Amino acid sequence: MKTTLIKTISKIALVLIPTITLSMAATAHDPSMHVKKVKKADCSKMDHSKMDMNDPVTIAMMKKCMKQAKKANMEMDHSKMAKKMDHSKMDKKMEHSKMQKVDKIIKKKDEHDNH
Amino acid sequence: MKLLLLLISLGIGTTIAVMYSGIVNVAADEPHSDFVYWLLEETRENSIKKAAKNIEVPNLKNPEQLLTGGTDYEFMCASCHLAPGQTESDMSLGLYPAPPNLTIAAQSHEGHEHGDETQSDRKNFWVIKHGIKASGMPAWGKTHDDERIWAMVAFIKRLPTLTPEQYQVLTAVE
Ligand code: HEC
Repeated sequence: MKTTLIKTISKIALVLIPTITLSMAATAHDPSMHVKKVKKADCSKMDHSKMDMNDPVTIAMMKKCMKQAKKANMEMDHSKMAKKMDHSKMDKKMEHSKMQKVDKIIKKKDEHDNH
Repeated sequence: MKLLLLLISLGIGTTIAVMYSGIVNVAADEPHSDFVYWLLEETRENSIKKAAKNIEVPNLKNPEQLLTGGTDYEFMCASCHLAPGQTESDMSLGLYPAPPNLTIAAQSHEGHEHGDETQSDRKNFWVIKHGIKASGMPAWGKTHDDERIWAMVAFIKRLPTLTPEQYQVLTAVE
């Protein structure tokens, strides 16, 4: 009688111990550390006064943000934008002739995408 | 002649003894000795230099390259080669040989020989396309065409100059 009880208990232990050990191992390294979050480009922090409009990095950033702005057209909160942008600085440093070019490039690309 | 034969069989014997005794430690958390490290490093650098010698470098100043190269880098490379503002990751700490931190200028990698810019563009292209044997560096050419790889070369060329904010915008999906 006693021996069967011990046998049953050890059988249960045999199943439970590995199960518990394995499930602990799964939580040891927090899975959230390995999850890549897909984030939208954060275009609010751009400092236009420091930008060099001939730099490919700047042009690429403008492109990405203009694309994003177009997509989010309706959701944009224009009241907030006006507060953050310093237009006095922008007018001085920005070369609008070049900016239009970027806009055109994006338009061209968009037309391409529609094919 | 007899001496040569003796030396050869001694060499083969030693090699077999080393192979089968199991005394070579292959653990990644145990660095090579200076000598073995130097041996492997020289072999790698010269092999890449030779293989990449005649690769023609295209224009790498197209902003579009920074966008495709940027998203590709973020999703395929940053886990090992890091992003601006980051100094370590599971991969950068755990892999041996360690993946170089590509967010700092090439000149400051310790012990790596880097020639002029064209030469390093060539080498980067070759390494990304073909990978490096017995290291964590995969060959991306099996799944990506040359144009995408050049875009990554263009991106990592600018990577050391990028702020975390610029990096975020360039590499974000939308
Ligand atoms: C799993 C980790 C891992 C991933 C992912 C990875 N690499 Fe690497 N990479 C390495 C390691 C390790 C080395 C160094 C190998 C050596 O020293 O032998 C390396 C070397 C390189 C080098 C040579 C650097 C130098 O200066 O010698 C380049 C360039 C490079 N990787 C680019 C990339 C790019 C671009 C990607 C993404 C498409 C990428 N790697 C993805 C691990 C990785």
